[in-house]
Amino acid sequence: MRSQQSLRTLLTAGVALLAAVAILAIGVGSVAIPPTEVIGILMHGIGVGTGAAADAGSTAIVVELRLPRIAAAILVGGALAVAGGVFQSLLRNPLADPYVLGTSSGAALGAAVAILVPISGVAWELGGVQLAAFAGALAAVGIVWRVAGIGSGEERIASVLLVGYAVASLLAAALSLVMLMSGANLRAIFGFLLGGLDGVTWPRLAAAALPLVLATLLLAIRGRPLAALLLGDEGAAHLGVEVRRERRISVALASLATAAAVALVGLIGFVGLVVPHLIRLAVGPDPRAVLPLSAIGGALLLLVADSVARTIGIPVGVITALIGAPFLLWLLHRSRRGYAL
Amino acid sequence: MPEQPDMTPDASYELLGARDVHVSIDGVQILREINLKIGVAERVAIVGANGAGKTSLLRALSGTLPVTSGEVILCTEPITRLSRATIARSIAVVGADLALPFATRADELVALGRLPHGSGPSGPTAHDRERAAAALERVGAAHLAARDVRTLSAGERQLVAIALGLAQETPILALDEPTVHLDLKHRVEVADLLVSLADRARTVVAIFHELDMVRDLFPRVIVMKGGRIVGDGAPSEVLSATRVADAWEIPVERAARL
Repeated sequence: MRSQQSLRTLLTAGVALLAAVAILAIGVGSVAIPPTEVIGILMHGIGVGTGAAADAGSTAIVVELRLPRIAAAILVGGALAVAGGVFQSLLRNPLADPYVLGTSSGAALGAAVAILVPISGVAWELGGVQLAAFAGALAAVGIVWRVAGIGSGEERIASVLLVGYAVASLLAAALSLVMLMSGANLRAIFGFLLGGLDGVTWPRLAAAALPLVLATLLLAIRGRPLAALLLGDEGAAHLGVEVRRERRISVALASLATAAAVALVGLIGFVGLVVPHLIRLAVGPDPRAVLPLSAIGGALLLLVADSVARTIGIPVGVITALIGAPFLLWLLHRSRRGYAL
Repeated sequence: MPEQPDMTPDASYELLGARDVHVSIDGVQILREINLKIGVAERVAIVGANGAGKTSLLRALSGTLPVTSGEVILCTEPITRLSRATIARSIAVVGADLALPFATRADELVALGRLPHGSGPSGPTAHDRERAAAALERVGAAHLAARDVRTLSAGERQLVAIALGLAQETPILALDEPTVHLDLKHRVEVADLLVSLADRARTVVAIFHELDMVRDLFPRVIVMKGGRIVGDGAPSEVLSATRVADAWEIPVERAARL
């Protein structure tokens, strides 16, 4: 059990660590930039000039190329981890991840269709693919919501999971058909499915940032009702939670965060599944601690994974799994008696 | 004491009540013509055969089972006018078995009972943890504090569930078969606990199957049959052999030996 004070300490330490790692990560790449210079450029950028302006080339690399990517890694990593933690709590299922309601399949199908549209060149430039992925993700959740009756008070958790699975399967089948017919565009579709932060630019980040940040922050402070839901619907009601309303709000926010994340960087697995579990191993299951700490943990994991990915040229999704999975396995092994999935 | 609805310590105060409550689900009548009035510091047992509507009555009284007609009264107010949070500060319900999706320490779980007393995103305060520890102590389960609730025996989980209800610190504590998984020692301890709670001005409403325990400990007994209240009074009156035989549909001569 964590008191408020130790939670605050952990959060502060986490944010400091995240900032330090971010500064290091900005320096990593084909042109290495030392941390002091990175700090100088960032300070200069926000108008806290410390005398001599940095080299123009370094400034351009930091501000135009690396910073949007680093910021995207932090926002997306945080959003996926929080959404995953929320879905795990809400559906009372440790295997739930942000894509459990079909977001990923919907986004993939939306993106694939957008890539196939003849004006794809222009659409890509304008972020049309991202917009289509966002719409696809929300549409998939919308279908699951309607069919499973989320928030109606009649829904059963198992049926929500099954409906999510069925809708995702249907959309995946449609995606396969689209890919079969895609011809020369197959590579572009595959690129989206693989996920990655290569294509992140300031305009695209700006477009995704509002739903991403807003939904994540609103979720991260909804730990109180979600804590009550650990006891199930009836138990949560007895602890003063309007269960139906709470489920509607949380599902909507988590889906919004996931859709924005998927639209921006494609499908990046594992962050949303593994980070909340790592945090629970450390601080227990109370979402009031798990959600804010997951936001930081997810940001850290994706930031490190993406830095490694762009250094050695491997897709970031592979790295998140390569870092996250053994770490989770080690922790589970170490605390076998304390934490059983 | 934490914030609680205003209470005047007087027997006529209607802490919990039902006025002509009917509940039907999909055309099936679950509760019919329920009328009752429970005051401060009363100790009330609800008994009856399986399917008589005991748990439904508890759920209707705590506002989680919407009534089809009639009115449930909580702290003199119609329950439909109260927010869930207000209800949760007035009545704690210790329900069926705890099922948890993640590993959860017993003290973490009991601290969730403090949720209705706070607001906002912050975690349990030092005071909350203190109250949770005290509640675990009260049910004699302090030694289970650091254990994962999912690894506890059914009886131990039962004690932790009661501690969760106690930590909520409400004027009314409602329990659904609180002694069902307990051995004799813990059964006695929980029974004594319920008595001492009522002695300290907390109202206790509990569903029981053990009629001997009910006769010993509960000055007032509500007997249910087929969704109706068929008896409400002192155990000597409503748990006589003929009335027990009628409520449980067993031969009178068998009931006489219970």
